Amino acid sequence: MSSKQKRKLTEFLFLLPTLIAFVMVIIIPFIYGIYYSFTDWQGTGAATKNVGFDNYAVIFQDAGFLHSFLITLLFTVLNVITVNVVAFVISLLVTSEIRGRNVYRAGFFVPNLIGGIVLGLVWQFIFSNILPSIGQSLGWSALSKSLLTNKDTVMGTMVTVNTWQYAGYIMLIYVASIQGISKSVLEAAEVDGARYWTRITKIQIPLMANAFTISLFLTLTNSFKMYDVNVALTNGGPVGMFMGKPVQASELLALNIYQTAFKYNNMAQGQAKAVIFFVVLTIFSIIQVSYNKSKEVEA
Amino acid sequence: MKKLVALALTLALVLMSVGALADLVICQNKVEITTQMEAYAKLYEEKTGVPVKVITGGGSSDYNTVLKAEMQSGREPDIWVIEGPSSYELWKDKIADQAGADWVQYTAAAYMDGDKVVGFPVAVEGYGMAYNKNILDKAGIDPATLTNYDAYAAAFEKLDSMKDELGLDMVVSMVAGTVPGMTWVTGLHNFNVYLTVGNERNDTTYIDQVLAGKVDPERFHQYCQYVALLFKYSDPDMLINGTQDSQLAAFANGKAAFYHQGNWMDPSLVALNPDFEIAYAPHAFLHEDTDGILVNPPSWYVVNENGNKDEAIAYLNYLATSEDGANYMVNEAAMVPAFTNVTLAPATPLSKSVMEWNAAGKTYDWQQYKLPDGFGMGTLGPIYELLASGAIDVDAFEAMMIEAIAGIAK
Repeated sequence: MSSKQKRKLTEFLFLLPTLIAFVMVIIIPFIYGIYYSFTDWQGTGAATKNVGFDNYAVIFQDAGFLHSFLITLLFTVLNVITVNVVAFVISLLVTSEIRGRNVYRAGFFVPNLIGGIVLGLVWQFIFSNILPSIGQSLGWSALSKSLLTNKDTVMGTMVTVNTWQYAGYIMLIYVASIQGISKSVLEAAEVDGARYWTRITKIQIPLMANAFTISLFLTLTNSFKMYDVNVALTNGGPVGMFMGKPVQASELLALNIYQTAFKYNNMAQGQAKAVIFFVVLTIFSIIQVSYNKSKEVEA
Repeated sequence: MKKLVALALTLALVLMSVGALADLVICQNKVEITTQMEAYAKLYEEKTGVPVKVITGGGSSDYNTVLKAEMQSGREPDIWVIEGPSSYELWKDKIADQAGADWVQYTAAAYMDGDKVVGFPVAVEGYGMAYNKNILDKAGIDPATLTNYDAYAAAFEKLDSMKDELGLDMVVSMVAGTVPGMTWVTGLHNFNVYLTVGNERNDTTYIDQVLAGKVDPERFHQYCQYVALLFKYSDPDMLINGTQDSQLAAFANGKAAFYHQGNWMDPSLVALNPDFEIAYAPHAFLHEDTDGILVNPPSWYVVNENGNKDEAIAYLNYLATSEDGANYMVNEAAMVPAFTNVTLAPATPLSKSVMEWNAAGKTYDWQQYKLPDGFGMGTLGPIYELLASGAIDVDAFEAMMIEAIAGIAK
């Protein structure tokens, strides 16, 4: 065996433990999942039979699923914008010469350390108890009812909570990227008479393009897969109407899949929804990453 | 030789650790008695040396979801709760036959599958319209007359007009919201009023119709009117935002005359020290008289065929036949036991009322758990919320309910 082959073998052996774990917990269940989506599997080990594309056909007539799909897209768009705008603004803030910026950095990051379920319950209390009582005592009609149980405002509450939780994390990526920009480039721009706004838009943002690629990818997938805050904050409610059917106004895709599988005990159909979910999320992610990659430049 | 000893010791250690893991795991669905049940489990461990672990799902979280997750986790519970035929069908491959167990001779409410005794009745439970007797007395309403729709409509109207002098915030304390996860109250328990009120206990006419996608138009129309009546005299904010706790608090603090919940709320109710007499009136939704509340063993403990079967049956025997078990069921958990050998009578008001209705033979069956999984809470529940929030009127409610029920047959 040549030394090159030996090296390859060593590399492979080092890789093996991780590879085995990855295959066992990701690849095999994934293949099983696709298989089960074509059966009438009930999740209890009872015998299954092949039903072809029936599960998929039913899904596309399911008003609840289509509604979840649309509001997930809406939530993703809103959430990606708010999280990244907020994160970018606060990252500019904490990299400026402001006093106590380290305290701010820690403070903005802390919400990300709180688990989604706890966070959802805390904010549920804020939205359904604290804000209404503030609204009532001040006589503001907009606040006097819970924003969670109004189908027109519930998506706003989800975006608010998720931004509060996630912006601090994305901020860290932007901060690292801003600190990585060479001082000489910025100084040269300043000497040439570029104003603050111009420096941000013409120098910093283009040089931070790789940070935008990763941040947008993280927020896109995170928003699309949103589950914990959804279940703890709103439980999918309140009820709205869509295509003449009652639907859960804030039930995002992940929660809809979970409810199909566990509440309606329709494992195979939930699995079929999950396959669609995977395909759509993959397509969106690839489009986003390849678009952002094309914008990346070197200084 | 040394090696052999070491090997034997290691083996013994391994076996011991396996032994320590092999305790009883119970997965149950009553959040309101979690503390009491865990205390009883501890007592059982002291008396018998068998460690018991209690896993609870229910209330705002969904018990069936918790159970399925436990089943998939690889450490299946030894005892868990089934709520009727659909959950029995789901798990029946794993459920052990307990025929011949000690407890079987003391009850008529075991869950049977042919000759097999598969379920230990957790309790007998009942629900109706719990009322605050002081308030009804002050308003001059005799609860015994509340046996039809018109009597309720008149009583609600009278109470509503006297709200200020009676100190009421609402006439009926009722919840229907999806956000706080209360659709089981409407989509399961209230819907069962349509299914069984006025019928013999084993009469399955209306559930059979519903499972075939149909309703009895006249009866269903009257039912929808009754739902609208309950919602009209409830508090709009309570209906949508109310949790199990806030619903109870309104009644226990004398802010509501009626309370739409079952006797499982007794432990929490007693903790709030209500200073008035409480009993149940029927859910009499028809124009004709119906006099009875809805009583059933709501759930049964089943034993895992592949689990720690003998220990599990011993645990259930102890629960049904020992003084500790009786004390736990009646005094601690405030349940109405389904066993004839238990002579303790419940001291708490709702359970006492259930026992009285039960003794008088004025009861109707529970058939809501014959609905397909998720249908009551997930499909019907949201339609109740639409009516409660005022998004639709009662006619649209009736039409949407009928459409949703027709969807079952597809």
